[in-house]
Amino acid sequence: MLVSFLYHLKNRGIPISVKYAMELVEAVQRGLAPDLQRFFILARLICVKKVEHYDAYEQAFASFFLGKEFKGDLKKEFDILNSPLFNSWLKREIEKGNLNRSSIHKIPLPELLERFWNTLLEQKGEHHGGHRWIGTGGTSPFGHSGNSAVGVRVGGEGTHFSALKVIEKRRYIDYASGSSIRMENLGQVLQALKNLAPVGPETELDVEETIYRTAKNGGEIELYFKRELRNKLRILLLLDNGGYSMTPYTNLVSLLFGKLRHIFEDVETFYFHNCIYGYVYINPERTRSLPLQDFLSKEPDSRVIIIGDANMAPTELFLSDGAIDWETNERITGLECLQKIAEHFKCSVWLNPIPKFKWKSQSPTIESVARVFHMEDLTLDGIKNAVEYLNERGKIYSKN
Amino acid sequence: MYFSGTDRYYLTRELEEIVNIAIQMEKPLLLTGEAGTGKTQLAFEIARSLRLKMEEARCKSTFRGEELCYVYDTVLRLNDSRFGSGESGRDVNNIWDYLRFGPIGRAFLAEDRRVLLLDEIDKTDSDTQDNLLDVLEDGSFIIREINHKVVAKKRPIIIITSNAKRELSDPFLRRCFCHHIPFPSPEEMAHIIRLHFPDITDEFLFQSIDVFYDLRAKNFEKLPATAELIDWIGAMKSSGCQSPSRDGKIPYVGTLLKRTRDIIKFRNMVARK
Repeated sequence: MLVSFLYHLKNRGIPISVKYAMELVEAVQRGLAPDLQRFFILARLICVKKVEHYDAYEQAFASFFLGKEFKGDLKKEFDILNSPLFNSWLKREIEKGNLNRSSIHKIPLPELLERFWNTLLEQKGEHHGGHRWIGTGGTSPFGHSGNSAVGVRVGGEGTHFSALKVIEKRRYIDYASGSSIRMENLGQVLQALKNLAPVGPETELDVEETIYRTAKNGGEIELYFKRELRNKLRILLLLDNGGYSMTPYTNLVSLLFGKLRHIFEDVETFYFHNCIYGYVYINPERTRSLPLQDFLSKEPDSRVIIIGDANMAPTELFLSDGAIDWETNERITGLECLQKIAEHFKCSVWLNPIPKFKWKSQSPTIESVARVFHMEDLTLDGIKNAVEYLNERGKIYSKN
Repeated sequence: MYFSGTDRYYLTRELEEIVNIAIQMEKPLLLTGEAGTGKTQLAFEIARSLRLKMEEARCKSTFRGEELCYVYDTVLRLNDSRFGSGESGRDVNNIWDYLRFGPIGRAFLAEDRRVLLLDEIDKTDSDTQDNLLDVLEDGSFIIREINHKVVAKKRPIIIITSNAKRELSDPFLRRCFCHHIPFPSPEEMAHIIRLHFPDITDEFLFQSIDVFYDLRAKNFEKLPATAELIDWIGAMKSSGCQSPSRDGKIPYVGTLLKRTRDIIKFRNMVARK
C-alpha cells in the first residue's frame, strides 16, 4: 500500500513524517494523481523537502514502481561507490564471506560493479513480488483495469511527461547528499559552512533590548550589547595540493573558501604536501614557507580545517626523517607535527576527498591521522558533520 | 482554477503540475534554485494568468514577521491624541484607524483569493520563518493589542522563494511543498530566449546558447544566469552584432561576467588560445 512506499522512501534515507502520509492520502483522494507520472510529482512534492534527497527519491520511486534499479548510466562510477545501496551490498557481501575486505581493492572496478548489479537483479524476485499496491492484476485496488475511481494508471501513455524519462536523466544527482563537492552543489556546501556558529565581541548596542531592560529597571538605564552581525570567526585552511587525489578538488576548495571571505572575518589558506612537517606554505606553489612554530602562534580559538587525502607512505608519517621536502631539518615525525597542531587548535577537523568507506582499505595512514584529527569525507554530509563538530568544540571558547 | 503558463513565461510540465497541486492542496509552495530560474517571476505569472491580485513581501533580515501581518502606528495615535486628528477622518478612540495591514494581512482580509509572494524568505532569521508559517498554516493571526483574530476569508495562493543563502529549518520545510527548480537545460533555454526575442534567428540563438553554457562550465566565481544571457543577447541585437563569438572573443562580455576577477580570468583564457 501507500504506506509501504513511504517506508521504502524512509529506508532510502528520506525523512518521512506521519503528516506526509496523511497529506498524500488526502491528495490521492482528491484525484491529484490520476496517473503514475503525476503521482511521481505529487509524492515528491509532499515527501521530499530538500534537494539533496531528490536523487534518492527518484531512484526509490523507480525501484518501487517500475522495478528498475539504476543501471550503468550513472555519471561516474565514483557516485555508485558512494551510494548507500552499494555500501550496504558491500557490507553484506563481506559479512557473507563472498568478498574479502583486504582483497576488495584488488578486484578491478568493472568486475566489482558487475557483481553488484547481478546481486541486485537476483534480488528482484523477492523484492518486487506480490503485494505492491500497484499492479496489473491481483487484489490491489489500484490496478490498470480496476474500477477504482482514484486509481493509479499502470503503463499506457501518460498525457504528461514520463516520470521514468525524468528519472533516467538523473538531474539531481549532483545535489545528492552523498556526492562529493563540485560546482553544482557548491551552494549547498556553502550553506552548510555558514552554519559555523558566530563568534565575536558583543559590542553593538541592542536598542530594543536596552529599552526593555531599562523599563524593567524602573527607568534606570541598562545598556545591553549584542554581537556584531559580522562573524568574527577565524578560519585557518590547510590544503594538501600535492597528491593526485586532491587535484580535482584544489580549485573548488579555494573557490569555496574564497566565497566565505565575506561572511567570516578572516580566512587564511596554507598549503602542504602529503603531511605537515616543520613548515606550512603560504602560496600554492609551496615556495614561500611559514615555520610551524609561527603557525602555532596563531590564536588557538581559530577553526582549523585541513583538507587532504592523508594517504602517504607510512614512513612519511612515522619516521622523523621521513620528510620529503629536504630543506626541512625538523627532527620530529609528521605525526607529531599533526599532534601539535591538534593540541594547539582545539577546534580542528580534517576533510578527506577519499570517501569514508574506503579509508580502511585505501591506506593505513588515514586511520592514524583520523586518530589525531576528527575526520570527515569531502561530501555534503561530511561537511555538515564537520561543521557540527566544530560548533560543538567551539563551545569551550565561549564561556558566556 | 488551473494555471498553465503564460505567453511570457516558459513553464515545464513538471512545474505546471506542481503549481496546480499546491493550489489545490492550499499549501505554501517553496521554490528554491539558482538565481535566474524564474522563481519570483512565477508568482507574478500565476497572478496574471489567473487574474488574481498580488500581495508581495520582499523579505529583509530585520523582519520579525509581525509587520507582514499588521503594524500598529502608536506614534500617529499619540500625536492625534495630543494634537487632534484634524481632517484626516481618524478617530483616536478607534484603534482600527491606526492599524495598517501588511501583505499577509491584506491577503487575508480581501474578499477575493490573492497570490501572496514571500520573496527571499531565507533573508529573515529562523524564528521569523517559524512564526510566519504558523500564520500561513492556520490562515489567521492575532492583533495582540486588541486580541482580535484575523481569519483569512479566502486562503491566498502562497509562493515562497529562497535563494538558499541560509539553510531553512526543518519544521519550516515540513510545512511547505518544496520544489527545487533546476537550471534550465539548453533546450529549455532556447524556449525562454524565444519568448523574449521572438524574431531571433536559429543560428544566432544556438550559437549564443553554446557560448553561454561553455562559460557556465568554467569555474567562474559568479556564473552567468538567465538574466545575464537575456541582457547579453539584447546588447548584441541592439548593436547589430552578427555573431556571438569569433575566435573565442565574446562581445559585451561584461554583461555576462560581473566580477572583475572573472573578467580578468576570461581575458587570460582568450589570450592563451
